[in-house]
Amino acid sequence: MASSEQDPTDHSAEILSIDAGGTMTDTFLIDRDGKFTVGKAKTTPDDESRGFLNSSQDALEDWRLDVEDGFPDLVSTVYSGTAMLNRLVERESEVDVGILITGGMEDTLRMGRGRQSYTGFSYSDRLHVNTHRHPEPLIPRDQIRGVRERVDVKGNELVPIYESDVRESVDELLDRGVDHIAVMFLHAYQNAEHEQRARAIAEERIAERDADTTVMLSSEYYPTLKELPRLNTLAAEAFAAEPSRKQLTNVQEAVDQNGGDVGVRVMASHGGTVDIHANELARTLVSGPIGGMIGANYFGNELGYENLVCTDIGGTSFDMGIIIDNDWDINYNPEMARLLLSLPMVNMESVGAGTGSYVRVNPTFDKIELGPESAGDQVGVSAVETDVETVTVTDCHVALGWIDPENFLGGDMPIDRNVAEAEIREQVAEPLGMGVYEAAQGVVDILENKLRNDLESVVTGEGYAPSNFKCVSYGGGGPVHTAGYTSGLGFDEVLIPEWAAAFSAFGCGAADFEYRYDQTTNIDIDADVSRAEAASTAGEQLTEIWTRLEEKVRDEFTNSNVGREEIEFQYNILGQYQGQLNALDIESPVSRADSPETLEELLDTFEDAYRRQYSEEARSPELGHTVTQASVRGVHDVVKPEIPTETPVGPDPPESAYKQPRESYWDGEWLDTDILDLHALQPGNELTGPAVLEGAATTFVLPPGYETRLDEHRVHHLSQTD
Amino acid sequence: MPQSYPREHIEDLVDDNLDWNQLRDMMSDYKDADRFQTVRSVLQERVDWDDPIIIPYADHLYVVARSEDEWIIKCECGHEFCEHDQNWKADALINVRDTEEEYLEIYPENMHPHPEFMELREFFCPGCQTLLEVTNVMPGYPLIHEFEPDIETFYNEWIDEPIPAPEQSA
Repeated sequence: MASSEQDPTDHSAEILSIDAGGTMTDTFLIDRDGKFTVGKAKTTPDDESRGFLNSSQDALEDWRLDVEDGFPDLVSTVYSGTAMLNRLVERESEVDVGILITGGMEDTLRMGRGRQSYTGFSYSDRLHVNTHRHPEPLIPRDQIRGVRERVDVKGNELVPIYESDVRESVDELLDRGVDHIAVMFLHAYQNAEHEQRARAIAEERIAERDADTTVMLSSEYYPTLKELPRLNTLAAEAFAAEPSRKQLTNVQEAVDQNGGDVGVRVMASHGGTVDIHANELARTLVSGPIGGMIGANYFGNELGYENLVCTDIGGTSFDMGIIIDNDWDINYNPEMARLLLSLPMVNMESVGAGTGSYVRVNPTFDKIELGPESAGDQVGVSAVETDVETVTVTDCHVALGWIDPENFLGGDMPIDRNVAEAEIREQVAEPLGMGVYEAAQGVVDILENKLRNDLESVVTGEGYAPSNFKCVSYGGGGPVHTAGYTSGLGFDEVLIPEWAAAFSAFGCGAADFEYRYDQTTNIDIDADVSRAEAASTAGEQLTEIWTRLEEKVRDEFTNSNVGREEIEFQYNILGQYQGQLNALDIESPVSRADSPETLEELLDTFEDAYRRQYSEEARSPELGHTVTQASVRGVHDVVKPEIPTETPVGPDPPESAYKQPRESYWDGEWLDTDILDLHALQPGNELTGPAVLEGAATTFVLPPGYETRLDEHRVHHLSQTD
Repeated sequence: MPQSYPREHIEDLVDDNLDWNQLRDMMSDYKDADRFQTVRSVLQERVDWDDPIIIPYADHLYVVARSEDEWIIKCECGHEFCEHDQNWKADALINVRDTEEEYLEIYPENMHPHPEFMELREFFCPGCQTLLEVTNVMPGYPLIHEFEPDIETFYNEWIDEPIPAPEQSA
């Protein structure tokens, strides 16, 4: 397997990051010096811990270690599996879930929302209404029962709960043998009494019938506005997440049995990792691409970069995210498996274009189109051991001489340049009457133009100036295109860490142990009352909610034997001017807002943020304020990967870094191109394009007109020479 | 992207026998180059008469070539309406619902348009009595002419194929 160096001796595996996919389980192992190695093994769905051990073993072999030798050194283990997500996507689970819902709302899941009929579609299909269709609900209609009750939007009881409805419904659901009963009543985030009463009755019935069924309340899991995402998420928790707990326990046992002394944690959508005993496991469903963002933020924190634009190109997608002042935005309604969910997720934009994207000629318009489908990890037609039939972007790199067929993924994947050229000729060049290399270059240009446009719209579309940001590029395919997609955008700097291919895994290893709870609120702070009065009403109310959320965070940590004093709390609100529609996410400088001084401080922070986001002129404190959501984050410090620090040597790369030069195609001409070993460069080295820097799992392409400098942290700084 | 689908697949498309995923894949993909001609030949196979279908016109209706320069609108059952650029509705059997009573035969109470504002016109084939079309218009509104196909442009400029014509009898 690929590893970042030639000499496999003396390693202490500190960070283990595992991604158990549908077919393969990938392992990234990072040692104390930031060196990494990867492993692969077949995923074993019956007992994921076997695939986990095999994959770990495969990675450790590169360092001549067994799991029994390697595991005791581990200080951090982060596991993510796709089994949960698969249950959602396939709408198939080992468990049956019944739902109790406010009477009259039984069809909430079936009616969904307009947006759900096209979420997750490609851009062209989103425009093409005929393709829209409501997704199948997670829970079938005949497992949903209505209960007469009603609480209004302010939390007042309008109709008392009909307890006989609960009893009857629970009995019917138990007759059907459900494993979980999920309770979701309207506005339960404001007033949870009815849900709690329903649980008490349900648990009585369950006990009387000696059934093995658990009851889950929306007000305890996701006390947030909007009943559809709330119900989707609660259903996903019962249907998809809970069944994975057993698998995670197996993985933990596998670690323990092999001498590991480390708690397995799972990456969660809010940007931290959680324990496998966490109450809310569903948020580990949607953690996919955020590892890189976390890595970039950690890296920025350590090296003093505050504002970053993160870009990640893999085989299938291009993911972008923004970090400002070392913090990211949260998206409170992410979409997954065509369902709108109510979970806090690190905000990222994703477009379906990557190095594995299929290249096709649109027969109607005779133009090249990319994706949205892709060969993913099957690379392309030139990967002769796969059965890919359509040309991909990577095939074009191979044809252009940018990628060494002998050294793809460290030589693990056999690549045939002749096949790439022949297929590009037949599928792309000839239909368009172009030369093979001209066509291949055209494909790369189209991809890079697309990525540049998408990137520009993410940054400038939010009102930011690229000159205030450093752009970090990573992912296996990132560094091939970095020069292309950042050209002309005017970033302050463009950074490429040498370990770009393992950056997401590095990010998972760098994630905090963090719990986060959110609650929708409706707290008005009127402009015409004194601060003292506001503090004793609104401030008191906010403080009470924060305290309650703090309690929940503390309870979660108690599950992992982490005490109160070891937790660092952070308090957030979503705040807006009264009557306005858009709220700002504010990190509160205070943990309580029940005194005039602390409330004042909180409001000042809001005013500052509003000024920064909009302008001084747009501020309107005379309208009064509303707090629409309160959140508490609790962080427990864990060991993070080291960012390497070396002593700069000098601008000239060592002789040993140079490999056999090769002719490569750049903008219409073949040029002699230096080929270097990415990992043999020394800090301080400077290079001018054209050059290709080959690493174990990525290739960094330096086109003519570009130069790069490797700094003491093994990060490349890319810039244009003219 | 298939340049063409197997004929059975197109038959299933015509019969609405594809499952949703197959149908959606077809819609999202590039159009197969020979789709129109394959659909046309599947439809031709289903009718009992020999006039070549030029285009499907509406549900149950086709524009067919009676001779090289005579194109008419014809029902599945064989009933012939009119020239392809005329309004076939003028030759159809028409039932008009313009009273409360007639509306209530097919609508729940209070769910239908007011008869003084809107009347419902149902067009049937005189040959087979199939309901071909329904329009809902103000009383007195002229017959709506839905569609006047530009056959020459379609065949000559869009798909670049000869316009079907009956074989010359020997």
